[in-house]
Amino acid sequence: MIALLIANSLALASLLIMMASGLALIYGLRDVINFGHGALYMLGAYLGYSISHVAGFWAALIAAPILLALVGIAFEYLALRPLQQRSHIEVALVTLGLGIILGQALIFAYGGEARTVEAPPSLAGSVTIFGLTYPVYRLFLIAAGLGSCGLLALWLNCTTSGLHIRAVSQEPSVARMMGINADRLSLAVTSLSAAFAGVAGVLAGPYLSVDPGMDVTMIVSCLIIVVIGGAGSIAGAIVAALLYGFVQVAGSVFLPDLAALAPYALLMVVLLLAPRGVGRGRAPA
Amino acid sequence: MNGEAAAPVTLRSGLAAPHAAGSTLRLAAVAAALAVFAAGALAPQHLASDFVLKLASGGLLLGILALSVAFLMSQAGLVTIGVASIYGGVGYLFAIAMSEWDLSPLAAVAFSLAIVIVYAALLGALIIRTTPLAFMMLTLAAGEMISHAVLLEGLRDYTSGADGLVVGFRGALFGLEAGDFAVPARFWPIAWTFAWGIGVAVWLVRRSRLGAILRATRQNEERMRFSGFDTYAPRLAAFVLVNVIAGICGILHVLNTGFVSPESLGLGVSTNALVAALIGGAATSTGPLLGGVIFAFAQDQFGARGFTQLLTGLAIVIFIVVFPRGVVGALVDWARRLFQRRARDIP
Repeated sequence: MIALLIANSLALASLLIMMASGLALIYGLRDVINFGHGALYMLGAYLGYSISHVAGFWAALIAAPILLALVGIAFEYLALRPLQQRSHIEVALVTLGLGIILGQALIFAYGGEARTVEAPPSLAGSVTIFGLTYPVYRLFLIAAGLGSCGLLALWLNCTTSGLHIRAVSQEPSVARMMGINADRLSLAVTSLSAAFAGVAGVLAGPYLSVDPGMDVTMIVSCLIIVVIGGAGSIAGAIVAALLYGFVQVAGSVFLPDLAALAPYALLMVVLLLAPRGVGRGRAPA
Repeated sequence: MNGEAAAPVTLRSGLAAPHAAGSTLRLAAVAAALAVFAAGALAPQHLASDFVLKLASGGLLLGILALSVAFLMSQAGLVTIGVASIYGGVGYLFAIAMSEWDLSPLAAVAFSLAIVIVYAALLGALIIRTTPLAFMMLTLAAGEMISHAVLLEGLRDYTSGADGLVVGFRGALFGLEAGDFAVPARFWPIAWTFAWGIGVAVWLVRRSRLGAILRATRQNEERMRFSGFDTYAPRLAAFVLVNVIAGICGILHVLNTGFVSPESLGLGVSTNALVAALIGGAATSTGPLLGGVIFAFAQDQFGARGFTQLLTGLAIVIFIVVFPRGVVGALVDWARRLFQRRARDIP
């Protein structure tokens, strides 16, 4: 029972980690919460649905993130850079508007009904580990989530560009004085975050479902996670995603009536105890 | 949004002694405003169709809600996305107070607004100290909790879940019976009067010492504290004020429709109010009201084709990127430029 609970919350948390760490990366460099991130995830899911019908799931898992990275580059050049001089809240609202437009365009193109994506044959069915029967696809999801999280940690902690990103996230003005080109980093980070959203979208297809409300559900969860984690802190976002996944899953098992309230209650409790979140995020400007 | 960000803030009241020319100008302005108010309260019922009146009063109600969001945003730099929970929640309180406890309409209004004040004071006392981003998320969380709470199985006897609640209205309020509020021609003067009353009230608060302290705190809280100002109580007062305005707006809405549903608590209402404020111009008192009316008519056009949300998205992007100060801000800029050019042409 407990093992199943933990496995289920890890599976949910894997998706959330991929989304929330992307949001936290953009926030760290640009001071902007990208409210359009949920729509990118939805775009990834619908692209994954279309591509996997034509060329199969594995092709979708490779092609959708590449397409999303291109969208991320466009987003950087067309929205974030021209609006650099505006107040951060205004840019955040623009991303909200762009997200709504993208979501509506997808609903217009694909219609309002929910779609289902089949897991590939190699990941269908379930296995028994330590006496627990568990779907293979969810194990794959957990591996992908934790694996991408590990790669991200490796990149941020062991490479020069990762060092620069951490520097800009912590002290933007000092980092710029030391000659770090934040614009170039931002391009890399935005396209990477969008690609991560694409991976999460494709992976979500067989696990949840592909439906018109998925962008809003995801962005609300991610916002809660990023704020709990301390805006801009990636480690904080990962911890918060694990916490959120557990609260969500445990809530729906033990208190089905109140499960919808559980994430908000978690947010309230954490922020009232630690207004800046659990991670070592930078104080918002 | 940051219309007056660079302007130096004086802590004196704006109503300094006017000199002779200023006072005639001011008298003329007050007379013109009163004339517009009277014309707007009496004329449209005879000129416009019921459909247009209904849309316009709905727009004014959205405008009042937008005004509350815009006030907090432009003065205190805090964005609230939980106003819908007050707007809809008051409707539920009003309906329950009359049907369950047999209160008179006026007593029910007083009861629900008193609950709003207590709730806003408690919530504000907890969340006003946090960072602006955390504040925004906490208002979202509080709002979502209320809108889920309405649907709880245990409260079904009071709120009747997803079906919504019909308001059992007995007696009269403002001299009108229950059915009268649903008549567009009779509801329009009420919406118009409240829009003006609340607009003027917000304008006065903006010009008062409270407004000045709020703007100064938004710009540099540390320096304000260092200069010996209390930065907590004024912001709490502003938060309570904003919620009371949203509450009044919610009561007007429930009087008009005679019905409360869980949708009135939803996130959509809050984002519509935010968008209306952006369209009109959040830094003014007239802008959000005008924005609400524009949004209501635009939504009618887009909604007929099924693109209500697309309108929201497009309006946000266009108004922030192209007209960051909204319709009213753009008009003021345009008029000022025209006036200055005239002044330069005359030797």
